[in-house]
Amino acid sequence: MTETLMTVIVVTFGGMMITAAIAVLFVRDLLSAIIITGFVSLSASVMFLLMDAPDVAITEASIGAVLATMIFLWGRGKIGGDG
Amino acid sequence: MIRTLTGLIIVLVLGAVAAAVIPEMQMREELQGVGYSYVSRGMDDTGSSNLVTAVIVAYRGLDTLGEVVVLFCASTAVVLILTLYPIGIKASEPSRVVAFTAKVLPAPILLFGVYFIAHSHISPGGGFPGGTVIASVFLLVMLGSSSVPDGRGRLPAIESLAGLSFGLLGFWGIMTVGQFLNNAFLGTGTPGTIVSGGLIPLISIAIGAKVASEFSGVFKAFRNTGGTV
Repeated sequence: MTETLMTVIVVTFGGMMITAAIAVLFVRDLLSAIIITGFVSLSASVMFLLMDAPDVAITEASIGAVLATMIFLWGRGKIGGDG
Repeated sequence: MIRTLTGLIIVLVLGAVAAAVIPEMQMREELQGVGYSYVSRGMDDTGSSNLVTAVIVAYRGLDTLGEVVVLFCASTAVVLILTLYPIGIKASEPSRVVAFTAKVLPAPILLFGVYFIAHSHISPGGGFPGGTVIASVFLLVMLGSSSVPDGRGRLPAIESLAGLSFGLLGFWGIMTVGQFLNNAFLGTGTPGTIVSGGLIPLISIAIGAKVASEFSGVFKAFRNTGGTV
């Protein structure tokens, strides 16, 4: 992979991560906020993969994007939907 | 609105701190000290071609044992609280997409998780990530069925057995060569083959089983509506 292509991908994903992380603060719906948090984790795992750390990428994808999101969703179910 | 702005301000301050600190960090071109020692001698010492696993399980095995204990305490606390004050997230009827996914995907994901653990000394992998992958299979199966899974007593048994075997593998080193968690007393084998790396594969399997059963137990506890775990 060429240096330029790598830079473009990293900047794209970094930009999306920052945008999503700020968007979490402003969305009204709790469900959307949880899904966007999961997206930030998934983008982080792609970044780890690009930085040649596949084992960290798997950890981030399974814990950050799946397990943590699921526990947030259950917490939302407990407090009763929209908040 | 005030809460949103407070959050934004905290994020901006943290970002400013990071932006100020990162240019000052000196990236070393060459490894020094203990890092150099690990990279240059790691493969001969441990027989593991994955140096990350060699450091986590062999050189810093005691730290990993501590980490396992911390995880054990945390999951025990979560399960205890959820047993005393059950949330009882209702098992709603899964949608067709979820039900179909929960039928098709568990086997390949489970296989990947087991591969990830068993090959942690050869290719990127390890007990912790592999264990969480297996736990996500448990989660998927749980979401795909409307009933509460019944693994009464089995999950804690696997968890305890795996944690105990980690400690016993450490004591095996004391008995044979007088060093706790010694990795190489069985012989390290040829790096890159499946039977190599001394105790690393065995410890990885123990960690993987422990992490998988711990996370599965936590998920099960969320569905707990009262009664015994």
